[in-house]
Amino acid sequence: MHIPDGFLPLGQAAIYYIITIVAIFFALRWASKNLDEKRVPLMAVLAAFIFAIQAMNIPIPWGTSGHMLGAALVAIIFGSPWAAVLVLAVVLTVQTFFFADGGITAWGANITAMGIIAGFTGFGVFKALKNLNRWVAIFIAGWASTFVAAISITLMLATAGTFPLDMGLIFMGTYHAVIGVAEGLITVVAILAIQNVRPDLLPWNKAKSEPEVEK
Amino acid sequence: MNDKDKKFVMGGLIVAIIIAILAPFLASANPDGLESAAEKVLLVEEVEPMFEAPLPDYLVPALGESPLGGVISIVLGTIIAFLAMVGLATTARWFKSERNGN
Repeated sequence: MHIPDGFLPLGQAAIYYIITIVAIFFALRWASKNLDEKRVPLMAVLAAFIFAIQAMNIPIPWGTSGHMLGAALVAIIFGSPWAAVLVLAVVLTVQTFFFADGGITAWGANITAMGIIAGFTGFGVFKALKNLNRWVAIFIAGWASTFVAAISITLMLATAGTFPLDMGLIFMGTYHAVIGVAEGLITVVAILAIQNVRPDLLPWNKAKSEPEVEK
Repeated sequence: MNDKDKKFVMGGLIVAIIIAILAPFLASANPDGLESAAEKVLLVEEVEPMFEAPLPDYLVPALGESPLGGVISIVLGTIIAFLAMVGLATTARWFKSERNGN
């Protein structure tokens, strides 16, 4: 879903740079207040996992493929969309500067869509639905994060005059409605795996976990 | 970090690196959702990237299109993402201790 160079005029690209830098500032402030010692390695493992799994494109119909974003996953595990902003900012920056995946001019737009918008959408949907059923909520949060991020990219490109709005929404919406199913499933599987090996790392088990003893 | 945390980090990193090693062999080579949409509706000319990355498209230029270049690139990127995240998160926490220290 990474926007390449040449899809956004520089003036609009600059606006997304500013939005991203402001969001990273708030995300760092969240981290300075809320990240405890054991959650730093958890966050780093998630950044590594998301980088690797973003390289694993899954085939979908129509000769197309898609990959996971991971923003909903991080936001749900940390109980905050700011965590998703921080992790996706790191992953997307590494992709841009080492691998030319995403244009350097689109760095801000890509983090805005796949970090900020996907993270807040995933977190909001999970929060709204978690009382119905936690695992259904996680799946729908994953799906919605991909779909809404794709729609936001279409709106950016339509504003830029790069995509026509109507056909852009139809193609981007259709592809990412399917890719979102994979996002939802992988998000559920990843959180199930953590629930099995380290339930104490998940926010809804925090109250039940033992008080920390420093060794 | 206690032993449980160390085990979790090692386990998580191993899973990430296994995915990174398999990705060049298993990943679909089809264009992704945005590229596919662009093929159909793009209103502008495509341009070359404006910045020369060391490992463009997750390949080592000297190794050409061989999947080995993909494995090297993606494993390296996975490790860089891990270290960059440790660095950024540790820096954020360091600012907190600075503030509390004053």
